[in-house]
Amino acid sequence: FPIYAQQGYENPREATGRIVCANCHLAQKPIKIEAPKTVLPNSIFEAIVKIPYDTNNKQLLGNGIKGSINTGAVMILPEGFKLAPKNLLSEELREKTKNVYIQPYSTTKDNILLVGPLAGEKNQEIIFPILSPDPSKDKNIHFLKYPIYIGANRGRGQVYPTGDKSNNNPIVSLNTGKVTKIISLEKGGYKIEIEKDNGEIYTENIPQGLNLMVSQGSQVVANQNLTDDPNVGGFGQTEIEIVLQSPSRIKGMIVFFFTVTIAQIFFVLKKKQWEKVQAAEINF
Amino acid sequence: MSIIKKPDLTDPKLRAKLAKGMGHHYYGEPAWPNDILYMFPVVILGILACDVGLSILEPSVIGEPANPFATPLEILPEWYFFPTFNLLRVIPNKLVGVLSMASVPAGLITVPFIESVNKFQNPFRRPIATSVFLVGTIVAVWLGIGATMPLSKAITLGLF
Repeated sequence: FPIYAQQGYENPREATGRIVCANCHLAQKPIKIEAPKTVLPNSIFEAIVKIPYDTNNKQLLGNGIKGSINTGAVMILPEGFKLAPKNLLSEELREKTKNVYIQPYSTTKDNILLVGPLAGEKNQEIIFPILSPDPSKDKNIHFLKYPIYIGANRGRGQVYPTGDKSNNNPIVSLNTGKVTKIISLEKGGYKIEIEKDNGEIYTENIPQGLNLMVSQGSQVVANQNLTDDPNVGGFGQTEIEIVLQSPSRIKGMIVFFFTVTIAQIFFVLKKKQWEKVQAAEINF
Repeated sequence: MSIIKKPDLTDPKLRAKLAKGMGHHYYGEPAWPNDILYMFPVVILGILACDVGLSILEPSVIGEPANPFATPLEILPEWYFFPTFNLLRVIPNKLVGVLSMASVPAGLITVPFIESVNKFQNPFRRPIATSVFLVGTIVAVWLGIGATMPLSKAITLGLF
């Protein structure tokens, strides 16, 4: 959950570049980001985070029942960029983003946006409406190219911030031994009795929702998976670059290109004129 | 069509130069002023416009502040060091790895001395040098791609 990151970290991007969601969501899955290459100051643009997954996949919920997958994302914008206020959005953009509640990471970091968990079926693409800053109003902002870091996740995590494993993990056997007994529990799940090599018997509790991969009588070694891996989700992070562009620079550039083109044409014309003189005087 | 000066083949001086493979500026389009005064500025302005356009539309990004205590998740040198970087990390013996890196410039230094025995310029007339070059290039590109992959795929590129 994003709240775990908000509680534990002042900045969700570690100095190594890793986004802290990866501390709980251990599996890696790809994500994609679409955003404009260049934005003008004080304008609203949309960045689309794509979190693809197979919608037929069901994940194990906290209570051991299979359910649909959730998605979520974090977007670390450059300083000064922030979530566009609702009243500035165009009618179309407001319609597209009305079901998604995006919040700033903290009161001091409103350039970091969080969203999730959302119902995954409808939110494999999350649209972030973003307001670009204006360097003429804020002296700390400059017309430059900036990186945007994005992390996005589908599915539940494997570890809680306390270090405890969630039930979204395979169960591994603690010791080498032989499965002597498998007891199916009434409320779901199993108890597996494993006889260690020294004859000692210990039980392994399998919570509801996991599928066994061992049967009675099978030999297991330590750290062997007793169940399949229920995790179908994963976290991914990527980055793109965005240019905060000054309109006056663009205008100046167009004027400059125009004068360069005119100058080039005139150089060629002058050469052609001079060649006529050379040909007439037969002096070359 | 531009002004073209014909070679004056009655001139013995020019013939002597041509026989040596020289004297190419005695004929053709006059350099001054046709080429240097009029065509050079056209090209210079074109390059200037390209540079200005790129620097305005794609300014270079200011990276993260340096932090000596944070190792990035992926360490990679500049792209032109990828092949030797890959050699260094896949060769278990670090001394051999460093020697393999050093052998690249050392080998390149010997090229003008060894290859001077060959009097031809044409690559097709120097089959050994050409094949060494081609094989070396392919190996370097292969190792360079491998450097961007995890260590398990560094040599195979995950293809085998």
